Amino acid sequence: MSMLYVLIPLAVLLLAVAIWALIWAIRSGQFDELESHGWSVVLDDDQKPPPVGNDIEKHSNYNKE
Amino acid sequence: MQADPCFHCGEPVPSVCRLEVEIQGQSQPVCCAGCEAVANLILRSGQSRYYQFRTAKATRPTDEDAGVEQAWGHFDERRPLWGSALKDGSYELLLQVEGIRCAACAWLIRGQLEPRMGIRQVQVDVATGFVRINWLPHKLRLSKIAAILSGIGYRPHLPLAGAETMSRQEERRDALKRLGVAGLGMMQVMMYAVGLYAGDAMGISAGSERFLQWISLVVTTPVLVYSGRVFYTGAWRSLRLLRVGMDVPVALAISIAFVMSCINFLLGSGHVYFDSVVMFVFFLSLGRYAELVIRHRNLQTGLALARLLPEWAERVGDGSENGPGEKVPAMDLRTGDRVRVRAGQTFPADGRIIRGGTEVDEALLTGESRPLSKNIGEDVIAGSINRLQTVEVEVSTDPGDSTVSVMGRMLLRSQTHRSRFARLSERYAGWFVAFVLVVAGLTALWWLIHDVAMLFPATLAVLVISCPCALSLATPAAIASSSRALLERGILLTRGVALEVLGGVNTVVLDKTGTLTTGSPTIAGTLINPVRVDHDHAGVLYVAAALETDSSHPVSRAFDSVKTNRTAVSDVIHHQDGVEGRVDDKFYLLGNAALMRANGIELPDPGGRVWLADKTGWIARFELDDGLRTGVSDTIAALKARGMDVMILSGDQQQTVALVAERTGIDTWYAEQNPKMKMELLESLQASGKTVLMVGDGINDAPVLSAANVSMTVSGASELANSTADFILTGESLALVETVFATAIQTRKIIRQNLFWALCYNLLAVPVAAAGYILPWMAALGMSLSSLLVVMNSGRLAGRRIPGVVVQTARGSSR
Repeated sequence: MSMLYVLIPLAVLLLAVAIWALIWAIRSGQFDELESHGWSVVLDDDQKPPPVGNDIEKHSNYNKE
Repeated sequence: MQADPCFHCGEPVPSVCRLEVEIQGQSQPVCCAGCEAVANLILRSGQSRYYQFRTAKATRPTDEDAGVEQAWGHFDERRPLWGSALKDGSYELLLQVEGIRCAACAWLIRGQLEPRMGIRQVQVDVATGFVRINWLPHKLRLSKIAAILSGIGYRPHLPLAGAETMSRQEERRDALKRLGVAGLGMMQVMMYAVGLYAGDAMGISAGSERFLQWISLVVTTPVLVYSGRVFYTGAWRSLRLLRVGMDVPVALAISIAFVMSCINFLLGSGHVYFDSVVMFVFFLSLGRYAELVIRHRNLQTGLALARLLPEWAERVGDGSENGPGEKVPAMDLRTGDRVRVRAGQTFPADGRIIRGGTEVDEALLTGESRPLSKNIGEDVIAGSINRLQTVEVEVSTDPGDSTVSVMGRMLLRSQTHRSRFARLSERYAGWFVAFVLVVAGLTALWWLIHDVAMLFPATLAVLVISCPCALSLATPAAIASSSRALLERGILLTRGVALEVLGGVNTVVLDKTGTLTTGSPTIAGTLINPVRVDHDHAGVLYVAAALETDSSHPVSRAFDSVKTNRTAVSDVIHHQDGVEGRVDDKFYLLGNAALMRANGIELPDPGGRVWLADKTGWIARFELDDGLRTGVSDTIAALKARGMDVMILSGDQQQTVALVAERTGIDTWYAEQNPKMKMELLESLQASGKTVLMVGDGINDAPVLSAANVSMTVSGASELANSTADFILTGESLALVETVFATAIQTRKIIRQNLFWALCYNLLAVPVAAAGYILPWMAALGMSLSSLLVVMNSGRLAGRRIPGVVVQTARGSSR
């Protein structure tokens, strides 16, 4: 049973790591909104928007006259 | 010919429109240039998958979206509107955005914004429509962000109350952290507890037992300090106010269990209760977190008040009638500015009409949906809607002091005021704590005289066995169960205490329009003048409906279902009391008795709501049914049977209210009340010792709802009213009010049982403990069992059918 004296403190150490990870995740806002990130797996693929889009300016003022 | 709907927004494509977009080699029709531009932009950015995955159609862009970048230019240099500054020089901006309907929208917005220079991170909350943007103002202008959003068809609202929402997020994150820490800690300590209990039963070496106890202490202490701290601060806060709140017994319970365990551990004898401590902390944190989430959701809708006013105003110089206007943020308006308000727009500020005349709808403040005519020199209030034609208004108060803003402040004040009502269990809590301390003191005194060796163990046993866990759980557990039960019946409980308070209600105040009535009347009967043989039933309806075609008066809704020919109408003039005009080239008058008298037409009786006449005399009388909500009369009867005072409080006119009061069997009614008068009446009721339930639906009811002891909103209520209500009825029938009452009474019963059990358990166990006969395992078992019993007893509320009181009472009383 002397193995317990090593394993349990090790488990407590792992607990500390788990708590740190949880707090880090909450702080960085990963639990604030749980909806759209799930979708990004399905939606995002290699079709990336162009890095700079000057054409947006042209179109955002589509009926400005 | 039936055309395909617009590919982008789903609205029908006009037959003259030839616009198309090309997606994956196929061309699809779009309804307007706006949709075409948005769709093309989305396709060109490689985000065509949006169309594949979206679950709701987009909103159609309007002309207003065009000038967004220019209009938002006003804000580029205004630091307070950039959001909250973060340490690294970036800003966190929170924007409410219109048109976010599904997760694909969120993806689209992120895909458009995130690759931009100066934008670090974007988060989209689909449920509330809030977009959180972490950005660098020196790399990108605020107006540019707005332009990008509106370019893909989403309309950003002006940023507001940024700091407040941020602190709310912090609060939620903190609560989640505490909950997580308590949960992880609980799992560990429970595991060690299994070892300890197994050791008790099967034997364990002294060294191993000591080690397990030691490690439990190591894990429990940080959990207690981190997650349990809120209970201590809460207890301290209420003690400083010389009150015993619910946090006091909780803090006492975890302290006793923890200190006892530490003492036993140090002495090397007796039981440790570390597992009970962390479990208790975890379950209480869970309850608190759930409460917090509900409260925050309500606060979010509270922002709705700000949305009642337009964000932009058209400011004009002193120039001519059609001089150019400048689009400015409504918050920039100052006393003396001139504003142009077009038909259909909302007045941005309180003011006086200086050019033109129109009709305005002040339903927002008075609940009166009939438009009032306003001419030069008359006052208009912010938030009312211009119904007829363009007018110019001179602003008379700064937007911060407008009637609506004042009402918002009134609302906030009454909300904080109400939180002072004490909870049922808090009254017991004080007595209970006193009881435990007195008994512990007496025990210590007894053993001090008789046997000093037993002093310490016996006193501690009393404290442990009377640990008020069951007491602290008695109310929350019962309320959690009944809120679940209510939800199944279409009733949303937003504030747990309300269930307790409802049991003591003796006065029910109801709003009329929208609450007792549905707001749209129907035709109940038609009486045709027997002399006028040239008219028949269908004929008079046809004429009346034709005259009412373009009227916005609520009465006109009664004729909506009648088929008519609008092109047959000409020369229509709308009056305060009705309408006149030509149908198929014959002159007719349609309106109330006052209009008929004014035109010298003799009527067979002075009553009647709507008359139709021509120049020679009256033709027909229409009886209107106000469209009472279903279940009204039965509910009123049932409430009266419970001994409640029932009354109507309405902003509507005397005669209308009187009629509804008579039909629903309500004896007391107050008509023509504005929000301030309603408030005063409510306060005088409360001052005379009444406990008031307010049932309403409109924005004008919001302050009263929030000031009443308990409040409910019915289906179709405004967001703002919902945000202040304790109960939100989602079903159509008013009978749900009665369901809530039945549930509240049962909940009260269950809470009483719970408290009774908790006290009984203590009365039984404490003498035994005081006598010194309690073994450690008995104390632990007693603590857990009493809590379990309370939870299980409360669970009965969720399962049980609430008897159909309404139906029975209805059969007994009516007819």
